Amino acid sequence: MLYFILRRTVFAVVLLLAVSLCTYVLFSALPSDPAALTCGKNCTTEVIERNRVRLGYDKPILEQYGLFMEGIVKGRTYGPGEAAVHCPAPALGYSFKRHQCVTALISRSLPVTISVSVGAFVLWMLLGVGLGVLAALKRGRWQDRVATGFSVIGISLPTFFVALLAVLIFTVWWPVLDFPSYTGILTNPWKWAKALVLPWSTLAVVSASTYVRMTRNGVIEVMSEEFVRLGLAKGVRRSVLIVKYVLRAALVPIVTIAGLDFAALLGGAVITESVFNLPGVGKLAIEAVVDSDLPVLVATTLVAAAFIVLANAVVDVCYGFLDPRVREG
Amino acid sequence: MNKSRAALGVLVGGALALAACGGASKSSDVGTTTTVGSASDSGHVLSFAEETGGVSATNEGVVEGGTLNILDYNSGASNLDPQRIYSAADLSLLGSTVLRTLTSYKIAPGKDGTSLVADLATDTGTASADAKTWTFTLRDGITFEDGSPITCADIQYGVSRTWAHDVTADDGPLYATQYLDVPEDYPGPFTATAEQEAAFSKGVECRDPKTIVFHLKLSVSDFNFTVSLLAFGPVPKAADTGDKYTLRPMSSGPFKIETYDEGKTLVMVRNDKWSQASDPVRTPHLDRIVWHFGLAEAIIDERMIADQGDDQAAITYAGLASQSLQTVFSGDQYADRRTDGYNGFVSYTIMNLKTVNCLAIRKAIWLAIDREAIRTAVGGPFTGTFASGFINPRLAVDFAEATLPEGLNADGTANTEAAKALMAQAKDDPKCASAYKLATETGLRFDHGASEAWTKVISIWMDSLKAVGIKIIDNPIEPKDLYAAFASNPGDMMRGGWATDWNNASTVIPPLFIKDGGSAYGNFWDDPDYPGFVERVNAALVEVDRAKQASMWKALNQWLVDQVWSIPGTYTRAQYLVGSKVRNAYNWYPFGWYAVGNIGLAA
Repeated sequence: MLYFILRRTVFAVVLLLAVSLCTYVLFSALPSDPAALTCGKNCTTEVIERNRVRLGYDKPILEQYGLFMEGIVKGRTYGPGEAAVHCPAPALGYSFKRHQCVTALISRSLPVTISVSVGAFVLWMLLGVGLGVLAALKRGRWQDRVATGFSVIGISLPTFFVALLAVLIFTVWWPVLDFPSYTGILTNPWKWAKALVLPWSTLAVVSASTYVRMTRNGVIEVMSEEFVRLGLAKGVRRSVLIVKYVLRAALVPIVTIAGLDFAALLGGAVITESVFNLPGVGKLAIEAVVDSDLPVLVATTLVAAAFIVLANAVVDVCYGFLDPRVREG
Repeated sequence: MNKSRAALGVLVGGALALAACGGASKSSDVGTTTTVGSASDSGHVLSFAEETGGVSATNEGVVEGGTLNILDYNSGASNLDPQRIYSAADLSLLGSTVLRTLTSYKIAPGKDGTSLVADLATDTGTASADAKTWTFTLRDGITFEDGSPITCADIQYGVSRTWAHDVTADDGPLYATQYLDVPEDYPGPFTATAEQEAAFSKGVECRDPKTIVFHLKLSVSDFNFTVSLLAFGPVPKAADTGDKYTLRPMSSGPFKIETYDEGKTLVMVRNDKWSQASDPVRTPHLDRIVWHFGLAEAIIDERMIADQGDDQAAITYAGLASQSLQTVFSGDQYADRRTDGYNGFVSYTIMNLKTVNCLAIRKAIWLAIDREAIRTAVGGPFTGTFASGFINPRLAVDFAEATLPEGLNADGTANTEAAKALMAQAKDDPKCASAYKLATETGLRFDHGASEAWTKVISIWMDSLKAVGIKIIDNPIEPKDLYAAFASNPGDMMRGGWATDWNNASTVIPPLFIKDGGSAYGNFWDDPDYPGFVERVNAALVEVDRAKQASMWKALNQWLVDQVWSIPGTYTRAQYLVGSKVRNAYNWYPFGWYAVGNIGLAA
């Protein structure tokens, strides 16, 4: 088992390295010139060329990647003379658009994204699985129709639409909430939750829909298994049977997918964060795209990739525990 | 490349408008509806009723204190470093709150706001007879937010940062490097040797801690206007953090930056080291100013219209979106909260004289385009008034309605027949052969900022010109890369926007049409008449008699219109809505926006 975990970890690290190389090379191949972006409207070609040398963009791409990796381990200094800026390890670059070390930007955005993700995840799992089970048990009745109807609407509505509508309804037309403004959980837990209610609900409504359907189908399928009929025949109480046996079997595939969905969310809920003005990783990423802010773009992509790789590894290891056949791999 | 605000963004296709200030207008008073400019002989319509904000522009019921909110969809301030600030909005916002300069504009509604007043200096400066040496004396009691006095050395150091291209990234205006007598190899304070610093301090001289002397390479009769740009403001060397200074500059004004959380808020609070006695320009009323970033564009206008809670004490960084104008400007419901006026910009289409080197064709293009249809497509008259030249009517002293080419329809519609006649004339002219072939066979490449509005606009251009046999190759460019693209690979036509940096057309004609002016993209130097033009521009630049200089600029503007080196678009307008408690929110003419530091709140 230990060997299996070790193997998965090494594989994850190798995968991350490969992703980082691909990301770096891909983004460097973009048509916008990173050196020109460090310069204002009056910029002359000479200044652009000087900046290129100063920032190392004149070097071959693999050497640039080497410097980037070195920065992660050792930290890196950017800029000339008295105006030099030092970013301590792990240095993911320096954003000349935002005048800050990229690592600092990421570490400031991550708590926001984690707050959004965890709350939304809990809410959508409760909503999705709850409604799914209800729909399955009341199959064909009005509860089933309401639950499946909700899931159809949730799937059809785009996130930005639900988000904008939620903001308009609850902060402008019927102002029961302030316009969301993120406050750290340690600073003021009440304000923290208040600012996140709308984004959590939006993500929950949109994401729960899939889970309603999966849970419903899963539960219906398991309910038709012979061991359920055997249990019923032997006189096991229906509620005990459902919670102890049916749900356990039905939820296994859902938990796997939920893990990956959660990881993707941690990589940044771009639209939700943008509409609700939450300065998370997703918003950072989309702003980097708009600004062609290469170092930030590379870093946010890497963070998102890291979460997916990590979640995959965790899911794999869990499977290893659940199913010994996987360990042979 | 500075941030343009919504109205302009629509009009020039997201083209980032360049420079900053505006100038005097012919007439306008606060609280009333007045007409700017007048209809010319040709019937060219220039007049429109400006809305100046009603009660919100007065100080009726202002109580001291309170928090003003600024709603902004941008993710952060583009720059807070005085040597890097260049957009009109930022110059007025930061110049009226945090940053002071030797001279400043009077904070007042209407054309009063364009008069130059002493700020850190005791007066508006003394020039030598040849206007090549300018002397300013610092007033007593001026300090930074840490209580240390502002001395000549701080201004000298601040000015020197403009040369640090690596750090200040040429974001700000470059008049310092163009005007001041400083060796060309000076690299800015971060990497300069002791000798280079010594040479610099001969150009910008500290005669004593209170006296600063600027030595200029050329005569500049209104250099005291130049130093009102924040780029000529003080920076204490000890507090300079290079690239990061733009996140937290040292305050010299009535407000200081308490926190700046990029993507969220920038909070300004009162600077207790500032004294009203040392500042004849600013009259603060607020306790705090909170600049909210990253708000959804679609929500901002809705919030302003709804006017609830803290939004009653809010203004917006960008103007109203075109879809909100109908609601806000129909009826009188919002009359005391809305403004509509020139923002000082002129939009125009640059012609590339290397490729379109035939006057008849350039004229034909101007005559053939349906300007009215284009304006309607981007929002109608709200977006601006058809321009007759490159100098904004706000710059009253240098403005004159230019005589437009014969056959140009005053109502902005196309005159296809006259354009066809010009094209026929070009066809027979051997000098126009290459341009004619390019225009009718290959097609003219039109570079413009990519935006939703411009996908509509360019199709009108294409249709209009197709009718006279001219082909257009559409070339949309990411707005933020626009001017860099013009510089490196100019198209046959390019769309831009410009505003004056101060009350002189020396900040319009030379930058836009002279090779080293900074923003001239049309290969104008390929025109045989270019040397003569440069000679006239240089003569106007060093003319110290302002009235004489004004007539020279007017003549040059007329000449540019006659030669169609560029096609004037519109004098652009912008519309804003403020919260119901906001007072003293009027268009500060030099910047086309509010003097935020003087805003007060009613109870």
